[in-house]
Amino acid sequence: MTAVQHPPLDTGERRRTGDARTLITSLIDPATVEAIAVDAWVALVGEEELLVPVPGDLPADTLSAWVDVVGPWTGSVVLTTGRQTAADLTRALLREAAPELLDHEDVADAFGEIANVVGGNVKAALPGPSTLGLPEVGPAPAVRHPEDVCRIDVLWRGQPLAVSVQGALPSLPTPHDNPHPNGASL
Amino acid sequence: MRALVIDDSRAMRRIVGAALEGLGYETRQAGHGREALDVLQEGWTPDLCTIDWNMPVMDGLQFVSAVRANPAWRRLTLMMVTSESEQGQIVRALAAGAHEYVIKPFTADALRDKLALLGMLPEEAVL
Repeated sequence: MTAVQHPPLDTGERRRTGDARTLITSLIDPATVEAIAVDAWVALVGEEELLVPVPGDLPADTLSAWVDVVGPWTGSVVLTTGRQTAADLTRALLREAAPELLDHEDVADAFGEIANVVGGNVKAALPGPSTLGLPEVGPAPAVRHPEDVCRIDVLWRGQPLAVSVQGALPSLPTPHDNPHPNGASL
Repeated sequence: MRALVIDDSRAMRRIVGAALEGLGYETRQAGHGREALDVLQEGWTPDLCTIDWNMPVMDGLQFVSAVRANPAWRRLTLMMVTSESEQGQIVRALAAGAHEYVIKPFTADALRDKLALLGMLPEEAVL
């Protein structure tokens, strides 16, 4: 008679290890994000338009534009600045074609396109294949996992602007989060 | 020469349109692939289409495929102008029938260089 071999107790550890996600901080660094943003500014906003890598306090009334990236790394590339700065950016993009009075659609279109260009080039620097969503504009998507964020803070024409590459998924549970420490199943 | 600028962003249509007009192109604009097909079907035939990839209603790749499926439009030069810069996507666009691929952000000079490679610079821009 042979002894029955029971599989080892499933503690969930192996599953957690297999599920480990790569954090954005190991895929891209702030210098790369800044270089991408600077290239986008020069091409879209103007050759004389500098992004100065100095952090500033964002005003209370901000607007964000972002694109989602879905692939081996899933998250959003989010640009956030004050509403007035977003309007100034729109005028800079549209130049002589800018209407006297900008409406929200004008700002959403221009700010969204900058997010699209920055996001597309961030996506290209990440492992692929990935898909890029259409630009969205509004309140910034929440940071789901504070460690899965690569953020730069810059000044444009003296006004603060943040570019955040942030994961869309929450933190994975750690062993301490296990609500059933004795392996009880539901 | 005529160019149809296809992009869902009005700001980007302005930027690309201004660059092409600066080279001597007469331009029209469309906000997505379906709208661009409508322009072609109404009989306004451009020499060049610049095409964004990610657009609502009909994306750039679908537009390229639709144009290439119609022999009446076989002389159109199709140039993707997009922030999609993964190698695999460039290959897909070229395989679908695009002639050239410009990655955003780009400068007016870079656009001019690509058009020169395609032999698509209007006479006034060559002189």
